[in-house]
Amino acid sequence: MAKAEYTVLGTDMPRKGGVERVVGKGVYGIDLNLPDALSGGVLRSEHAHAKIVGIDTSEAKAIPGVRAVVTAADAPDVRYGRSYIDRYILAKDKVRYMGDPVAAVAADSQALVKEALKKIKVTYEPLPVVVDPEETMLESAPTLHEDMPLPKNLPEGVQVKNVCGYTGVNIGDAEAGMAEADVVVDEVYETKMIHPQYLEPRIAAARPEEDGRITVWANAQAPFPVRTEVASLTGLPLNSVRVISTGIGGGFGGKGSGVTSSAGLEPICALLALTAKQPVMIVMDKAEETISTTIRSGCKIWIKTGAKKDGTLVARQGKVVYDAGGYSGFGNQAGGRCTQMVGGWYRLPNIHMDGFTVYTNKQVCGPVRGPGGPQATFAMESHMDSIAAELGMDPIEFRLKNVPEKGDSIVGVPKLRDSSLAETLNLAKEKIGWGKIQLEKNQGIGFATGAWIEGSGPGGGAVVKMNEDGSATVHIGKVDYGTAAPFGIPMIVAEVLGIPTDDVTVLNVDTDASPWDAGTVGSRSMLVSGNAVKLAAEDARDQILRMAAGQLEASPEDLEIVDRQIQVKGAPSRSVSLASVCNAGHNEIGDVIGRGYFDSKASQAHERETGSSQPFTTHAAMVEVDTDTGNVKVLKYVAVHDVGFVVHPKAVEGQIEGAAAMSLGQALCEQVVHDSDGRTLNPTFVDYLMPTINMLPRIEAVTVSGYPGAGPYGTKGAGEIGSVPPMACIANAIYNATGVRVRRLPLSPENVLRALREAGK
Amino acid sequence: MGLEIKLTVNGNTHTAELEPSTALVDFLRDTLGYKGVKLCCNTGECGACTIIMDGKPVNSCVVLGADAAGADLVTVEGIADGDELHPVQQAFIDTGAVQCGYCTPGFIVSLKALLDRTKSPTAEDVEEAISGNICRCTGYTKIFDAVELAAKRMA
Ligand code: FES
Ligand code: FES
Repeated sequence: MAKAEYTVLGTDMPRKGGVERVVGKGVYGIDLNLPDALSGGVLRSEHAHAKIVGIDTSEAKAIPGVRAVVTAADAPDVRYGRSYIDRYILAKDKVRYMGDPVAAVAADSQALVKEALKKIKVTYEPLPVVVDPEETMLESAPTLHEDMPLPKNLPEGVQVKNVCGYTGVNIGDAEAGMAEADVVVDEVYETKMIHPQYLEPRIAAARPEEDGRITVWANAQAPFPVRTEVASLTGLPLNSVRVISTGIGGGFGGKGSGVTSSAGLEPICALLALTAKQPVMIVMDKAEETISTTIRSGCKIWIKTGAKKDGTLVARQGKVVYDAGGYSGFGNQAGGRCTQMVGGWYRLPNIHMDGFTVYTNKQVCGPVRGPGGPQATFAMESHMDSIAAELGMDPIEFRLKNVPEKGDSIVGVPKLRDSSLAETLNLAKEKIGWGKIQLEKNQGIGFATGAWIEGSGPGGGAVVKMNEDGSATVHIGKVDYGTAAPFGIPMIVAEVLGIPTDDVTVLNVDTDASPWDAGTVGSRSMLVSGNAVKLAAEDARDQILRMAAGQLEASPEDLEIVDRQIQVKGAPSRSVSLASVCNAGHNEIGDVIGRGYFDSKASQAHERETGSSQPFTTHAAMVEVDTDTGNVKVLKYVAVHDVGFVVHPKAVEGQIEGAAAMSLGQALCEQVVHDSDGRTLNPTFVDYLMPTINMLPRIEAVTVSGYPGAGPYGTKGAGEIGSVPPMACIANAIYNATGVRVRRLPLSPENVLRALREAGK
Repeated sequence: MGLEIKLTVNGNTHTAELEPSTALVDFLRDTLGYKGVKLCCNTGECGACTIIMDGKPVNSCVVLGADAAGADLVTVEGIADGDELHPVQQAFIDTGAVQCGYCTPGFIVSLKALLDRTKSPTAEDVEEAISGNICRCTGYTKIFDAVELAAKRMA
């Protein structure tokens, strides 16, 4: 369909920047070569919770070659945060997790940095540590943030402490609904913390400029929020702070924005550079990252659902306790999303959910791939299978009985314009061979659905600048780490302007030149920059056609651009080259510069009226469980997705496969392990297990069409939703294989074996 | 306290000084400028720093620079034939196996080492060859595709 309608869209254009990456010439943050840069490093807390009684930096400062040593005392008395403004760039008065930055050093060499960090004497007064998210809510728990109030929206009479976010879901009357149920299933699920473990270490570099400005290089997903933070730290106006995005080797939300999402590396680096009056570059060590940068939180989920004998869902009640870590970070947002998603995306008239996001003495929650979603879905979709089993129904039939349809509302969506959930369920069932394939002993098939509601969020702009040869240079605010920027974005520009993708260059983000953007997060690259760039390219095209109209003696509406030629529709011999018009434009309107902006508010207002089309998915897995060892082998994996219109099939599949793999890792083996003192026991890759190629099946990503979303040409976000179903999908397959329900992640040999033994198998 | 060593990288002979404790990955990147060799875990677990040393793939983060004295090394920069990409490199582009691309040099070097050893590797050979390379972006599916495509084109 796509190919007939469009010239460029729907094709598999080679990744922009692909050639340099395969020959080793891709330049990432870590490859930055900043002349005369000092090395920087950060001293991190060795206590998970302690008062800072004093910091003595004199010995460190006395080392020849050490150019700057900074602590909270050298930074303005400013705190950062999202829901709660609770964090200094360098810990002041107190540390709240093992890895909290306390001081930083810049020196002539990395060896000197290490030596100086050792010489900084911090006197701590240890405080009681709390690592368990349930325990932290009890009266007996230590208080983590003395001056942070409980959330204003907390329901009356709730006695809790250390809570930094509350989300309530109240639809219908859950209590009354539950009373009408024929069957009630009540369960508790638990997930553990994982680290995004993007491969390229985080870096930051900063250089004070002669004119009083400061330049910062960051491999962050959100250069503009980084700029805001550096400006607030330095007291400089925004036009004196320039943030340049380097190439980025993975992020997954872990390289989010500055202080809230990444332990504030850029402001710390800027502080060092300003103090030393010299450029400074910090490269983090991977083990240091595991203990200090942001993570996908663990959480505990209570879920109770009532259904009629025929499988109709009638009510759900539940509770979520979501771990924010030592600071609120992205915790409230992720915990809130998690709570809503435990409510589910089925037809369910009565729901009551309480979601608490809590402080503990651990790494801070970030917006890691599908924040809150995979955890919620592990519980919600495992639970759906439990209900189906209780009812004696086929898990697919049971779900189909409750899928939302056009016009329905689901949690977070007032009105659906259409619903692809049933189609994804049916297709997943067919692709995995449910009911057809002959399963051997200890083999099983599991399903799990997922959704990723396109919520509200900021807009963003795009600029398409035409060059006099007819090629286009594009500015957007999204970074290139292999998602929309090197795939979908140049394709849209090429499609609109009638030029080959080779003629389109998408620049990486430089806050001096790029349009403002909130960051490459939230599956919003196509929605925001895709829509904006389409409008910008159309704006440029309109300017061009208006100029060409005179020459061709036709009205602009009758013109089109095909293969770099502007021609009269239906009379292609009446044409003029795009290059000549762009060139001549210098004497008519100046540069042809198209501008576009995605108006998030208008888009949402429109959808409130017409209803919205949301992305839905169903994953299906076939596994084999070794009942002697507890080992789970995934034999086959199918991921059926509705992501709206597909601009670049391979890029979309790649997003789905990668997102699924990350959650398969969490399903099978990944977790950050802490002891009761809050120490991370597995900071290095030696102990932090991640899936390698021999652990994973070849994921079959399939898309369904016909449900256009709010993105350009009807696209929907595809970057995160693939991470939503896998954990439940594998748990359900294990259940199908063994009859044993594992409610705690990871589904590692140890946990699976324990569950099997407990069930007497 | 520098120690002078001589070695060959991608056919070029280098003589350079290094500290005895310097890891090969740092020596290649910082002293000789082969930044295509990527640094990640520094513990020999992710394969981002893979190079070929005297015919064998090694994680250069767990090899001392000094141990490369007299060795013949190949990095990702030495795999294409001028402007002509190696079939594995081309296949990575054609199948969409390059997302962020940070793992890509390591995979390409591991696969090149495999294909130098055997012209028609089995699926097990391939898994074995790249089981030490972590990719966090692709879920490996497109990497499987790339290997198959390259093998087909080379057959
Ligand atoms: S950096 Fe050498 S194996 Fe990871
Ligand atoms: S492409 Fe990013 S780690 Fe493999």
